Amino acid sequence: MGLTHRPPLDRRFWELKGYHFMDLVSPCLNLGTAFFVLKHLEERWAAVGYSLSRVDAVLKEVSRRCKVTLARRPAPAGQPLPPEEEARLAGRILSGRILLLEEVGRALAENGVRVTAELADLLHYLYLQGECELRPAVGFDAQGVPKCNRCGQGDKLYRSSCGACGSTHCYVCEGCLELGEARTCRALYARPGAERAGMFPCRTVSPVLPFSLTRAQEEAALQARTFVEEGKCPRCLIWAACGAGKTEVAYGALAAALSRGKEVLYTCPRRETTKEIYRRLQQAFPGVEMTILHGESGSKYAPAQLVAATTHQVLRCYRRFDLIILDEVDAFPLAGDGRLYYGLERSLRPGGQILYMTATPPPELAAQARRRRLPVIYLPARPHGYPLPEPQIILARGLRRPMGRLPRPVVECLRLSLNGDGASLLIFVPAVDLVAQVVDWLLECREFEGLGDWVRGCHAALPERETVLAAFRRGEFPVMVTTTLLERGITLPRLNVMVLFAHHRRIFDQNTLVQIAGRAGRTSSFPQGKVWLVADRITPEMAEACRIIRSFNRLAFQRGYLRAVERRQ
Amino acid sequence: MGWKDWLFVRDKECFICRRPGALGYLCPSCSRTLKTWEQEFRPCRRCGRLLCKEYAGELCPQCGEKLPPFRLARAVGPYRGELRRAILEFKYRGRRSLALPLGYLLSRVVAEEPLYGRPRAVIPVPLSSQRLKERAFNQSALLARELSRLLGIKLLEEVLVKVRHTPPQAGLDRLARLQNLQRSFEVVESSRIVGLDVLLVDDVLTTGITAAACTVALLEGGARSVAVVTVATSLF
Ligand SMILES: [Zn+2]
Ligand SMILES: [Zn+2]
Ligand SMILES: [Zn+2]
Ligand SMILES: [Zn+2]
Repeated sequence: MGLTHRPPLDRRFWELKGYHFMDLVSPCLNLGTAFFVLKHLEERWAAVGYSLSRVDAVLKEVSRRCKVTLARRPAPAGQPLPPEEEARLAGRILSGRILLLEEVGRALAENGVRVTAELADLLHYLYLQGECELRPAVGFDAQGVPKCNRCGQGDKLYRSSCGACGSTHCYVCEGCLELGEARTCRALYARPGAERAGMFPCRTVSPVLPFSLTRAQEEAALQARTFVEEGKCPRCLIWAACGAGKTEVAYGALAAALSRGKEVLYTCPRRETTKEIYRRLQQAFPGVEMTILHGESGSKYAPAQLVAATTHQVLRCYRRFDLIILDEVDAFPLAGDGRLYYGLERSLRPGGQILYMTATPPPELAAQARRRRLPVIYLPARPHGYPLPEPQIILARGLRRPMGRLPRPVVECLRLSLNGDGASLLIFVPAVDLVAQVVDWLLECREFEGLGDWVRGCHAALPERETVLAAFRRGEFPVMVTTTLLERGITLPRLNVMVLFAHHRRIFDQNTLVQIAGRAGRTSSFPQGKVWLVADRITPEMAEACRIIRSFNRLAFQRGYLRAVERRQ
Repeated sequence: MGWKDWLFVRDKECFICRRPGALGYLCPSCSRTLKTWEQEFRPCRRCGRLLCKEYAGELCPQCGEKLPPFRLARAVGPYRGELRRAILEFKYRGRRSLALPLGYLLSRVVAEEPLYGRPRAVIPVPLSSQRLKERAFNQSALLARELSRLLGIKLLEEVLVKVRHTPPQAGLDRLARLQNLQRSFEVVESSRIVGLDVLLVDDVLTTGITAAACTVALLEGGARSVAVVTVATSLF
């Protein structure tokens, strides 16, 4: 029993295998419904035991349950199968991927493969041979609840009547729409990655670096290498301080995997970071076949041993990688998004490993690490060997809005930044509309009146944000007010950081605070950058963020990674 | 959705900025942003396309020359900015759930413009069956469905059909567009619209030729009058 978009094809296929009778049992259904009905039929037959005399009874029963009229009709005569050669080519393209029909078409075109047969027929032929899997892009579970088979979620499905399949109950997934419409009536074709034997040679690969690793990095890199070489643990977490250089540590794991001829994926949520990582990987591993996948990358279907991709693209991979390195697990916009984990697990070969990397693990991972279910590799120190700046909490009772006089301690901090250490100051506020208000509030302060244009605001929705950001980078004005959207990605050599209204727990959770604090003290020329949390009260999140940073420093101290310690000895 | 969601109106997400706190799919600030065009432009009294405020006439030059067959057309705003982005996302990316907020915006336009009167049927601009098969959905039909639901006006989806498959209008000049659409719409079951004031719905009105072609077909099919509402319109 099976399903098909073209019965004559199946008929011919099974005739060649020695079967001579074939019946159609359902009318033409959309793929999702067809799958649902097929599952019920198979289940029912498995329960009552298959025999010809029971067929009609079972059909009747399943008809009732699935609300589809099932009855036996003779199948049309067979038609020639598509060329074997072309099916092989399509199969090779599909290897390690899960794709919609039109994506397979694009992949063939991109690789310069031309086929004469209809693509749907080719893929169906592969499916009949057991060479590829076929499923509806949006399917139903046993209870008939729809779920997207590409991104795995079921909340962002939109039901509408469909002009393509004619059904009024065709669901479209809006969770992965940017990869093309996953729909009840569309098929996803999937094929596990090719057998590894001989595809990529085993040879010694070691990263080429323009600098040497610090001892902290070296030890962590060795642990990462061992994680891959032993292959005992399926998952592992590199928990690194902000700016500690975790990518270089991942090279240890990468080199171990590449040396064994394994296929590796390096993935991060954002396109810009992915491009940057790709450039760095190319420099570190010359001679390794490498490709990059993101929404706008040109070639998406070239073969490669090392793939850098945005986490979105992972939804197109199928049992392909032996090692996945997931950078910035917690970063916007994937925090708390089940699709990420769903896609990662699926793109892994059976027995494959995942290496998570972050400065601020999401709660699930942190909890697993605490319960020792997830091994952790710590990287607590920055390459320059100075401790992380620990946040200072500044309590300003009754500080709820930018109103009235600027609190005295805030003025002190401003004075220190403006006149004292010559560092720029980045002030984070919890909402977009606060940016302008706080700028005005600061400008009202008498003490800094003579400084001219000394503070400006910048947030993601601001049209001229790039210019403001660039001017701030160039040091044209010393203080910038911004929202958390800039918490990552901004690195200035001399920087102090202030969080205003740090008691806003929803915005300033512990991970955000750790990331913000991580902006300060990144360079050896100015490792003493200050971090001030200005708040009405101390929230648990603030306390936890301080605790995390302190524990990193303590660990770095204990392991002797800090410069001050070396000097003392 | 649980019963609580029906009893208590929850904070909805603004469909433009995705922040919570929206009334009817829009937060107050995005609602204001969508109306900023009113400071610069005003609609042509007939076709609704936007004219500079300084322009003296009530009608745009084109309507001044020859009035279109529909009674009036209005839109939420010009085809640019957030509105344009939403339409692109809706129509070409296929984010069908945008039909709800966009339909809501359409309903506001119809409710706030007294010239619409009280239409008796909502009719979407149809796609040819071939295009519908390729695209899988008709954006105008989704909008019309929401509009009909929000205004409590009957939806007649199958009455107006596109009988001829024509190349896309985009990229053609005015004359070519006219020829392209000549006699490509038709009313079936005209008994359902005889004597009715109907409301024609589309996503964008640029030259007004599509709307005019549909209107001609509807009037020939017996409709008493045709008014048009679109999400976006062009600047004159
Ligand atoms: Zn999906
Ligand atoms: Zn469909
Ligand atoms: Zn908004
Ligand atoms: Zn006009």
